[in-house]
Amino acid sequence: MVKLKISKNELIEKLNEAVKEGYNYLVKITAVDYIDHLEVIYFIRNIENKKEENIRLDIKDGERLPTIVNIFKAADFYERELSEMFGIEIEGRKVERLLLEKWDGLEAPLRKKFEWGADYKRD
Amino acid sequence: MLTKINVGPIHPSTHGVLRLVVTLDGDTIVNVEPHIGFLHRGVEKLVENRMYMQSESYMEKVDYAAPMAYSDLYVSAVEEAMGVHIKERAKYVRLILLELQRIASHLLWLGTFCNDLGQMFTMFMWTMKDRDLVMNLLQDATGSRMFYVNMRVGGVSMDLPPDFEEHAKSLLDYLEKRIKDYEAFLEKNPVFIERTKGVGVLSRKDAINLGVTGPVLRASGVNFDVRSAYTYYAYEKLNFMPQIQVKGDVFARYKVRILEMKESIRLIRDALKEMPEGDALGMPIKLISPPIKEKEVIVRRELPRGEGMMYMVTDKQKPYRLSIRAPAFINLSALNHMAQGAKYADLFAILGSLDLVMADVDR
Amino acid sequence: MLIDEGLASILANAILVLLLIIMFDYTFGWLERKTIAKAQFRHGPTYLGPFGFLQNIADVIKLIAKENIVPSNADKLIFSVLPPLFLSFFIFLVYLLPFSNSIGISLSLGLLAVFVLLSFSPLIVFLIGIASGNKFSAISAQRSVIMLLGYEIPLILSIAGVVLYAGSFNIATIVNDQRSAYFIFLMPIAFAVFFISMLAELERPPFDLREADSELIAGWLVDVGAPYYALALFVDYTRMFLGSLLISLLFLGGWLGPSILPPLIWLMIKAFVVAFIIVIIRATTVRMRLDKLLSFGWFWLLPLSVVSIILTFLLFVR
Repeated sequence: MVKLKISKNELIEKLNEAVKEGYNYLVKITAVDYIDHLEVIYFIRNIENKKEENIRLDIKDGERLPTIVNIFKAADFYERELSEMFGIEIEGRKVERLLLEKWDGLEAPLRKKFEWGADYKRD
Repeated sequence: MLTKINVGPIHPSTHGVLRLVVTLDGDTIVNVEPHIGFLHRGVEKLVENRMYMQSESYMEKVDYAAPMAYSDLYVSAVEEAMGVHIKERAKYVRLILLELQRIASHLLWLGTFCNDLGQMFTMFMWTMKDRDLVMNLLQDATGSRMFYVNMRVGGVSMDLPPDFEEHAKSLLDYLEKRIKDYEAFLEKNPVFIERTKGVGVLSRKDAINLGVTGPVLRASGVNFDVRSAYTYYAYEKLNFMPQIQVKGDVFARYKVRILEMKESIRLIRDALKEMPEGDALGMPIKLISPPIKEKEVIVRRELPRGEGMMYMVTDKQKPYRLSIRAPAFINLSALNHMAQGAKYADLFAILGSLDLVMADVDR
Repeated sequence: MLIDEGLASILANAILVLLLIIMFDYTFGWLERKTIAKAQFRHGPTYLGPFGFLQNIADVIKLIAKENIVPSNADKLIFSVLPPLFLSFFIFLVYLLPFSNSIGISLSLGLLAVFVLLSFSPLIVFLIGIASGNKFSAISAQRSVIMLLGYEIPLILSIAGVVLYAGSFNIATIVNDQRSAYFIFLMPIAFAVFFISMLAELERPPFDLREADSELIAGWLVDVGAPYYALALFVDYTRMFLGSLLISLLFLGGWLGPSILPPLIWLMIKAFVVAFIIVIIRATTVRMRLDKLLSFGWFWLLPLSVVSIILTFLLFVR
């Protein structure tokens, strides 16, 4: 696991560099919620020589992530899922909900501050 | 004039609950928009509140057509977090059971694929009968037919019974003959060839960019299989070869899966011959406070549908975060690209060739 | 021109043909279910009656007893009137065929009448499909009319050879002219083209696009209520009867055969054999796509039927 921690502004140029080096396959975009910040991880892979790399960056609450859909088309579904599960806003494209419908106004489920059953209203 | 059709959540040909909003221009598809999430159960969040081995049965229900593969993936993540090495015989036992599971999953796929093409259940009945025989064999080895929960840290829960080898050999001979029959039945049928050749083509560059995986990727000419790239268990010793086709259409994906079934049969035969003696039992399932050595773990396995990956951040008793990469999820996202310009009837051929299980897509 | 004049014999003929239709429909329904089940490693109906023979009665009673739901944006008049009209249309067509030298009527332009009226059937399906107010039915309705474009011409041309040989459109004359040799042996190409085009006309697999189970759920029958669904089953079986009768009358010698059995029984045996073959084709084929189907009809069937007419003309009529 080669760790590479960068800042949000370098994301797109770092990914473009990686694509030029041959890392042309996006495996997954995921995030982990460490309570004071969120760590977003991009797993990319070089199909020819089978090497993998993960690019990490830290995000605080309320910051927005740039979209990478123009570099990897596979990022479309992953970004949609990430934004609705963690409440991260993604700029540069229109993001629609993928797995959770009618969840607007409620807390994003995979955050640690999400309370089980808090959104259940009897009506 | 564009019409929008709702191929709704309940439909004979979407395997599970999948809603597609298809925009048609006459009989040609302009846009396909999948709406998913009907089967979302929040597995990634549930796991954060259970101890390590309590979530093994959750993982099986993520893919109900090949449960053992997911449970193997998860238990390998736990093993790597604990720094435990699997016993030698357990590697072969796991390999045999996983390859049997792969044959069963591909047989189910073959039946439902022919259903989508209009076969009216004949092929489905035949392949389900064969799958039933494979499940009987798995029942001898693990005790249950569908949700096995037989993977333990360091090995398996029960070793193979003493008469497993002869039952397996006779079943493999039978399956080999049947798969040849299915191939002949379908490939000499000109209507089948017409419906699948040249339909839903995915070029090599697009396949890599869209991130598809598994037989869909290998049918487009990309030589990537987790069993040979990041090899595990005894695949290296048994000389595993990935099966590649270059055309990238529905027929190529069908052919890749048929060849994979034949390769699995060969692997099981060789593994039965070369299996070392010893014991294959792992630790009991009640692990209250296991000694965790790694902070972050990544494991990859080749599930029947593609490449599955788990990224786990560990805590003392429960996982802090488990991120599952499901192969069917990303294969579905390539549907829009593949269905551009095809006829409406081709949509179901393409959807069938992707081999989706909706629980895998939604988790 | 009736074969036997007299009111009593007209009535007896009419009732006999109706009984034959009912008998064939019922038996064919049972035969189809059992055959497909056996091809798929299952048993099919076994519980009611010997070998499950009475199963269809139970199914029909269940279907008729259900409530008929008409969707709100469907055209009520067409929806209620057309399905029974469809069934009576096909029964009328069966009545136009002779069943032996003494049963049934035999018109001097019988063959022409049957085929002209047969080409109206996709239009009735089209109307029912459009009147359902549902996109799936509309698509299947359009498909049935498009299929009409591909198959009518080879269907009519392939029997032109038969008509040339026999010299008339009268079906009784055509059958009686097969005393020397059945037409299947004299004109095999025409038989093959006619058989395939008839499969398309009857909308049986591999040409069953109209009710493509896996794509359009049930096509034009999606919104049809349960009693009308039973009617639609009968329409399907009666159409099979018509098709197998036509194939056996025109090419397999109709009611001719050694005189150990009465001619009517020979005709029914031949019709059942043809129906059995069609059911076996259903159990094993994959459905064709619409545009491939049309290109098959225009590039293969049409030239073959023209070739068969030319061959018949050169070999037999001169």
